[in-house]
Amino acid sequence: MTASAPTLPRPRSRRLARRALPYLLSLPALLVCIGILVPFFTAVWYSLERYNLAMPMMRSFVGPAQYLDLLTDPDFWQTVKVSFIYAAATVGIELLLGLGIALLLREQSRLNNVVSVVLLLPLMTAPAIASLMWKLMTNPNFGVLSWLVSLLGVHDFRWASDPRTAMFTVVLVDVWVYTPFMMILLLAGLRSLPRQPFEAAALDGVPAHFVFFRITLPMLSPYIITATLFRLLDSIQQFDIVYAMTQGGPGDALMLFQVRAYLDFFQYTNVGTSAALMVILWAITYLLSNLFIKQWLKLRERTHHA
Amino acid sequence: MSGLRLHRLSVRFGRSLALAPLDLEVARGEVVVIFGPSGAGKTVLLRAIAGLLPEAEGEIWIGGEELSAQGPERRRVGMAFQNFALYPHLTARENIASPLRARRLPPAEVEARVGEIAALLRIGHVLDHLPRALSNGQKQRTALARALIGRPEVLLLDDPLRNVDAKLRYEMRLEFPRLLRESRAATLFVTQDYREAMALGDRVAILREGRLVQCAPPAEIYDHPADTAIARLFGDPPINLLPAARRDEGGRIRVTVAGAALDVPALPPGMAHFRLGLRPEALIPLPTAAPEALSVRVIAVTPLHERTVILGHAPDGSEIVASLPRRDVVPGEILHLRPDPARLLFFDAESGERIAAHTPLAEAVS
Amino acid sequence: MRKVLRALALGAVLVFFLFPIFWIVLMSFQTNEQILRLPPSLLFTPTLANYRALISGHLVTAAGVLDITFLRNLGNSVLLSTASVLLSLLLGVPAAYAFARFRFRLGEDIAFTLLSFRFAPPLLVLLPLSLYFQDLGLNDTYAGLIWVYQLICLPLILWIVRGYFEDLSPDIEYAYQVDGHSWGQAFRRIALPLAGPGIAAAGLLAFIFAWNNFVFALILASADKQPVTVGALAFVTASGIQYGQIAAAIVLSILPTLALALYAQRWLVEGLSLGAVKG
Repeated sequence: MTASAPTLPRPRSRRLARRALPYLLSLPALLVCIGILVPFFTAVWYSLERYNLAMPMMRSFVGPAQYLDLLTDPDFWQTVKVSFIYAAATVGIELLLGLGIALLLREQSRLNNVVSVVLLLPLMTAPAIASLMWKLMTNPNFGVLSWLVSLLGVHDFRWASDPRTAMFTVVLVDVWVYTPFMMILLLAGLRSLPRQPFEAAALDGVPAHFVFFRITLPMLSPYIITATLFRLLDSIQQFDIVYAMTQGGPGDALMLFQVRAYLDFFQYTNVGTSAALMVILWAITYLLSNLFIKQWLKLRERTHHA
Repeated sequence: MSGLRLHRLSVRFGRSLALAPLDLEVARGEVVVIFGPSGAGKTVLLRAIAGLLPEAEGEIWIGGEELSAQGPERRRVGMAFQNFALYPHLTARENIASPLRARRLPPAEVEARVGEIAALLRIGHVLDHLPRALSNGQKQRTALARALIGRPEVLLLDDPLRNVDAKLRYEMRLEFPRLLRESRAATLFVTQDYREAMALGDRVAILREGRLVQCAPPAEIYDHPADTAIARLFGDPPINLLPAARRDEGGRIRVTVAGAALDVPALPPGMAHFRLGLRPEALIPLPTAAPEALSVRVIAVTPLHERTVILGHAPDGSEIVASLPRRDVVPGEILHLRPDPARLLFFDAESGERIAAHTPLAEAVS
Repeated sequence: MRKVLRALALGAVLVFFLFPIFWIVLMSFQTNEQILRLPPSLLFTPTLANYRALISGHLVTAAGVLDITFLRNLGNSVLLSTASVLLSLLLGVPAAYAFARFRFRLGEDIAFTLLSFRFAPPLLVLLPLSLYFQDLGLNDTYAGLIWVYQLICLPLILWIVRGYFEDLSPDIEYAYQVDGHSWGQAFRRIALPLAGPGIAAAGLLAFIFAWNNFVFALILASADKQPVTVGALAFVTASGIQYGQIAAAIVLSILPTLALALYAQRWLVEGLSLGAVKG
């Protein structure tokens, strides 16, 4: 039927190859997907089992019993409480601070660009290592921050080792590490805003606070929402900073979700409850991430069409 | 047959038919202009021929071989994209040389042929620039050089003049016929500009909503458009399309239009009401009123080249545009315009399709 | 007045964010006696003893000589991060291209699964994985860790590089194919070089994320495969009160990422904001 020369590939095989191409190209990503999904379902299964590594004989399927136990366990509610306090405090402070710094650096100038680059450094520090740095600085014997605080008349300020100030200390480290992230996103957003409304406002002599609340903030809000949701997702799952600083202590003052699950698993070898905890955290992050992805796709759409 | 032959070529995206089955033959050295509004399927047609749309169905014969199952790299086509699609990281020289490099021609020959085509298109002095350093006109010529250099069997030009300025567009319109003739390719030239279509096409193929509605030489399209839409698209100033009715007066066939009654030599049978198409230059001014002339009160006058274009009102109020030999006309003046009986066009009142008049009329044309 | 306030605010910001790094670097050049002196002083004769001890692997303490494996941790970090990013690029760039260029059902599903798991708690997957790793014999291998590190690197590369490919007009690749080149040639010589900056930005960011990761290696790596993030924590416990050495270890752990960040800051900022905002 065709008059093609013998050197040409057979039409059928070519069409087939073309069809298969996208699948071949994304095969590795698919394998990684499976690599995540298998342990994910295993974890869900564990959460329905009474399963302690130290007592393998006792392993049994208990259905939702573990979740019900958790709901009546005051330790669990302590975890929920500190996790949410941690997330709210870190994200709230980082948002305000990041927005303030972004506004300071808004104009393109050599100095501002150098500062914004230098401010990346904390973000490039591993959070676990950052905790160690702050641990050295808050050491009661020689820590420079302890010394500074004592100059202010506060003696015996025990930072992370005191249940009353432990939360403050880890939030401080989180703020140090992650505020630059907020700043970069908001700065990118600020610099991408159209100039005309601001020029018009300047011409009309509109007062600065009015410009900020009525023009800047509403126009920046998609960026603010995206950045906040992103940070919230990370913060509710914080592990590195808290684990490296206090391992969840003192007492259970910093027993965040992932810290508790880690200790349940490795210290108490209680696979079942640790999995149930993680599934609950997963449900929370799933809701948050859906919100985030929606916002983010909207913003992406906007920047693509700009 | 060499050149290009399409047999029932169609493209379907999901449930929507982007290109209805289409037959077209283009000989080597012939230029067929693909004309139509945006979204009509012009680019889809070109991409289907080039092998860029896996959704395409039907036969594509290029140089006597059926190549619809082959990839774009085996189809021996040259293509210029509307947005130029130059390789931003390669110099103009390497952009142009790309089709020859693909065939692994010896460097000396590549060099010689790039020099030759660059001289022809007058871009020899910018060959070592990257595309971002080129003006729009130079980009366009580079893209054209890349399409031509491989001496393709089929040349596909997707609105190559769209993104260049008016002056360059004018110059290129004058240059294209020679370039295309020398390329000896079967050329499909997409455009939305009717002047380009008239100036460059040996034939013009009109696409509308994915369908080929007319394919004919430019003069034929102008004189015998397939329907009122095409009649409107071709021609500036635009054609007058007026409701008209047939009246038999004792053996004489007359047409009443815009308050006048015209004698016509013939009319298609069975037509009572229709639309009459009058090209502006087919209205001949008479010194005095006459029954077969429209009396038009002039509203606006535009001198245009060696002609004068007027807009006026017929007695019944319909607007009439006429293009007259250069003369002084003032608004308010009454002109007596006689439609040239040989150039009357009849269209179905409902569908807008042209209805051929009787043979005497058809012979009178040409 | 406004200018002064602005300068003060900027100064305070710089002090807050840079002082910890500055201070730890100072400490790393101090002896324990100098560190313990109160009030702290900026004036001291710097010593390289801390770094020498770390690099030689022998730590002399009051209790005796202690062998430290910190340099091995550093080597592990280099190996794990580099290998993970290279593998991720090898696997991720073609997939990112497929997601950008071809609209296919499975593609959207994969992209969405990876994205939603980018935000899922890592321990959810890691705890069962640690049991699987023992069964599969992967718990003491670099290969197992590099594979798991794909969870960090691959989504990042997929999403950033995909955005870059989507911004490239497909016509440019089509033109190359019409010129007579195969699909593979168009991918290698047109799409890849043009997405180069995006691939570099994504690779850089993935490297930094892999380097800074803590929890994956904490759970899955045996002592001799641990990267610096985990190693440093162990080192703090082991070295007790050798604060100078701890500071030096911290400096060595963060030096590579900070140097990379300063060297390629333009790409990094682009990658970070693209990664979060644009995709």
